[in-house]
Amino acid sequence: MNVMVRLVYRNLRANLDKGSLFFELIFPLFFIFIQGAAVSGIVPPFDIGNGRVVSYSLFLAAGAVTLTVINGGTNAGTQLWFDRRHGMFEQILMGPFTRAQYIFSIIITTLIIGMAASILVFVFALPVLSGISITLQAALLTGFALFLGTIFFGAFAITLSVALKSSEAFQIISTVAFFIFLFTSSVFFPVDRAPGYIQAVSLLNPLTYTTDMFRAGLFDAATTILPLEITTLSIEAAIMFTVAVAAFRRIKV
Amino acid sequence: MDIIAVESLSKHYGDKKAVDDVGFTVSKGEVFGFLGPNGAGKTTTIKVLTTLVRPTSGNVRVLGHDLRKEAKQIRNKIGVVQQQESYDQNISVEGGLDLYGFLWDVPKQKRAERVEILLKQFGLYEARKTPSLDLSIGQRRRLQVAREFMHDMDLLFLDEPTVGLDSLARRATLDFLKEKVKNGLTIFFTTHILEEAEYLCNRIAVINNGKIVTTDTPQNLKRKFGQSKSVDFKLLEGTSPELVKLIERIDDVNKIVQDVSDGAYHVTTAKPEVVIPMLYQLAARLNLHITSIYIAEPTLEDAFISILQEDKS
Repeated sequence: MNVMVRLVYRNLRANLDKGSLFFELIFPLFFIFIQGAAVSGIVPPFDIGNGRVVSYSLFLAAGAVTLTVINGGTNAGTQLWFDRRHGMFEQILMGPFTRAQYIFSIIITTLIIGMAASILVFVFALPVLSGISITLQAALLTGFALFLGTIFFGAFAITLSVALKSSEAFQIISTVAFFIFLFTSSVFFPVDRAPGYIQAVSLLNPLTYTTDMFRAGLFDAATTILPLEITTLSIEAAIMFTVAVAAFRRIKV
Repeated sequence: MDIIAVESLSKHYGDKKAVDDVGFTVSKGEVFGFLGPNGAGKTTTIKVLTTLVRPTSGNVRVLGHDLRKEAKQIRNKIGVVQQQESYDQNISVEGGLDLYGFLWDVPKQKRAERVEILLKQFGLYEARKTPSLDLSIGQRRRLQVAREFMHDMDLLFLDEPTVGLDSLARRATLDFLKEKVKNGLTIFFTTHILEEAEYLCNRIAVINNGKIVTTDTPQNLKRKFGQSKSVDFKLLEGTSPELVKLIERIDDVNKIVQDVSDGAYHVTTAKPEVVIPMLYQLAARLNLHITSIYIAEPTLEDAFISILQEDKS
């Protein structure tokens, strides 16, 4: 059997914690069904681009799906962290595998977890998202958004996990970092109506572009800046991936 | 063909020479012991030989493959039990064995057979459904050794594999390894428990400060370096300070100590054949009765300590 298939299967079985997965799903669903429903009563429907007017609960449902990408990404760092902590990192590297194969297996596992969790949240959110028709083009755009987002946040978590010495530091710093990503992106609110400093930060934030791409696909709300957003997110994901690989190569055994 | 051929191997970390110009060979079917104090360079040598870290200099061939150019081919044919624990915390004992076999591309049927055998062989059958995280240290260690036998290999590296095991489990593990060696497996073995090395190893290399001090069979090491023997005896009367004083005056006696647990005297000497008749004479003079006496051969530990002391001096 193919080396990558074996490694990815092993990563999925060895590192998937059912409790964490449960919360990864519950967290976005909480936003969709509680916050979205509650805030919709005080926020009138608004234009999200291309003349598409949607309710706040629809707006937030799309954001909550991309939020899952961040949680999936954290999994990459956690997997690497546990493998190093429990000696499996060295054990695997002394087996019939290369470092490159191992790191790619972590990335692929993260993609599987991130994409699967996002799709699952999307399926759960379908009652809220009723009336939406997804074309092939929209499916490709939303899929590509989730793919790039997972690559960026998976690579980011891997870099953090290599750089930080303790699991406590990893948990705290990744949580803080992901809160910053979350609240300076367009997950919870349209950033073009936020104060200037939030807008400025959101321009660097890959979660903004992931969410914008996802919404553009889901609601057929593509604006003229969408190609620029796709390009920016692709570049950010490529840079972060390169940084993660470089950091990973420096792990001392 | 040598299974391992090491020539002028060095591994430096900055200014620190962890392994310094080391050379040795290991033949097929041999258990090669690699002994040394903490920080001597044992684990670094294993990390180099298992392709985990690159050597600074030197020529190394493992299973006929060049270490620098054919690392993948080497890794395909070796097994490694690391000094540190390694396990997948959420997976049960039998699940962990099966998953490790899967990683090594062992067919499903063969995996199932091997899991059954290894669970019984390593006394893990009762704990087969327990997640690794909930096992005792000894159980996790047994699992770690057992796991390596889920896949086929020509050479096995064992870096202190019996740490945390009780005497029974240790002996069972060593006997299991002996059986595998009979079937052609070659083992590179490090341990701090010298009885184990003596029990298992055909040859032993002693490494200190990154350099190999000596290499020989356990018997030859004891012969060369374990110079003094111990004459152990007991008195019917228990203790006798007068006798001790007289024994200490004998030229060929290095030292005499009494074991507080059983009251036996241990006389260290290079010439037991001279000392024993004198012991009987002295005991008779003091009207004491020797109830048991025997000569204890030098242990590998004696030889090991002597080797390190010589190297230090």
